[in-house]
Amino acid sequence: MFSDHHSARLLPWIIPAGALLAWIFVSTSGLAPPYLLPHPVSVLKAAQVYIFGTADAGPYAGRFLDDARASLLRVALGFGLAALLGIPLGILSGRLPAVRKLLSTPVNALRAVPGICWLPLALVWFGIGINTTVFLVALAAFFPVYLNAAAGARQINPLLYQSGAMMGVGRLRGVFAILIPGAMPQIITGLRLGLGIAWAYLVLGELTGVPDGLGAVIMDARMLGRIDIIAVGIIIIAAFGRLSDLGLKAGLRLCFKSARRIP
Amino acid sequence: MKPRLQIISGRRTDDGCQPALTVDGLGKVFPSGSTLLPVLQDISFSAAAGELICLLGPSGCGKTTLLNIIAGFTPCSSGTFNVHGRPATRPGPDRCVVFQEDALFPWLTVAENIAFGLTGRTRGRQAIRAEVERFLALVDLQAFRDYLPREISGGMKQRVALARVLVLNPRVLLMDEPFGALDAQTREEMQNLLLSLWQTFAHTILFVTHDITEAITLADRILIFDRHPGRLRSAVDVPLARPRKKESDVFHHFYRRLCNMLRK
Repeated sequence: MFSDHHSARLLPWIIPAGALLAWIFVSTSGLAPPYLLPHPVSVLKAAQVYIFGTADAGPYAGRFLDDARASLLRVALGFGLAALLGIPLGILSGRLPAVRKLLSTPVNALRAVPGICWLPLALVWFGIGINTTVFLVALAAFFPVYLNAAAGARQINPLLYQSGAMMGVGRLRGVFAILIPGAMPQIITGLRLGLGIAWAYLVLGELTGVPDGLGAVIMDARMLGRIDIIAVGIIIIAAFGRLSDLGLKAGLRLCFKSARRIP
Repeated sequence: MKPRLQIISGRRTDDGCQPALTVDGLGKVFPSGSTLLPVLQDISFSAAAGELICLLGPSGCGKTTLLNIIAGFTPCSSGTFNVHGRPATRPGPDRCVVFQEDALFPWLTVAENIAFGLTGRTRGRQAIRAEVERFLALVDLQAFRDYLPREISGGMKQRVALARVLVLNPRVLLMDEPFGALDAQTREEMQNLLLSLWQTFAHTILFVTHDITEAITLADRILIFDRHPGRLRSAVDVPLARPRKKESDVFHHFYRRLCNMLRK
């Protein structure tokens, strides 16, 4: 039998493994034709060519590194911008009713606009290329980061402030020693949601004729009917999304005591 | 109109030493709809340096509000109060509060919580560590120095809350039903701990409670509050010798006397 320790380590892999088995079964038994759902083996081959192939081996051979680099840069810039604006503004509006009143109408109105509506405008403003994508990613990721930071700053136990005040803590130290650590659980939630959305909007931004990037590859493969490459792109984005989430959590834990000590 | 109570106990004061705390005609109203709801009315008393005063009264009598005013968390509507002869408006480490609820920083360990108030002051790391160790020992929590607040019991949390303010060497210690949420046995332990620390450091303590036994166990003097509006009804010196045994006849006798006064 499995010990608790073993089953805990297996648990995260059960659903991916089950999905893979189902995929193999559906493809091998012919339930789904290859032009709708390629066989896992052919996807694996396509991935191998895409990642390790030399440039002359086929249409997508060896493009992986360049695409990944371009996409990661766009996500990093857009998400970084969202975090840089969203966390301070969120904390301000969580603590200062005036800022909250000032920002809540525009933020909640803009939040209701689907990201895809911004695409035409962003193309006019920023042209085709990295700027449009970074703008879309930053815009979409801003809202969860801002809203969660605001909620986190608002719900801090007032006794913690009173404790700080009686212990002679000034305004500045109060922000860094009480406010930010106190709001940390929600700040982390906001950043993780924002990062997930950042990947979604990355693909949206890359649909628009940029030559490189994981989203561009997927769109390009659709035009050429290379459904195996579409599957490769989706799996790579899923893997990157999961890895970047783990990286974000690890980074925050490394930098902040309050992030390390969340129950 | 009732005559204003002006009770100044000089028992623990040396000659020429000013009282640690004087409260004069203090009042507080809260806006309630279009009217003003009086919560505290004309509170006057003074505490000698090193005196342990219990504020006893039913819930809703404004005891906590009074404590918040003295701590500097809430402004008063009328009257004045002085701490060692100086008016005090803002919160500061000379008047520290031990809250009823857990108000420790949940992301800091026991030792870090105790060090929190020291860190802002100009002191060396070594000196801070030594102070923290000393107070960890005083509240008997050395073995738990690296635990987080959520990993320790309610009684231990209140020990940390006590240590983190005692380490700042406050002139006046304000305690807002600090042991109210603890079980009877732990509460008694905490009362003994508080009394032994008080005998060591001789802080002036204002201790809010609605527990008559607790007030008799701890206090030099008990201030009895009325509610609606919160008013100081009377002040009673507790003449019992320490340590006070809850089972003793004198304790019971005093308890009955106090109960009668509260019923009036």
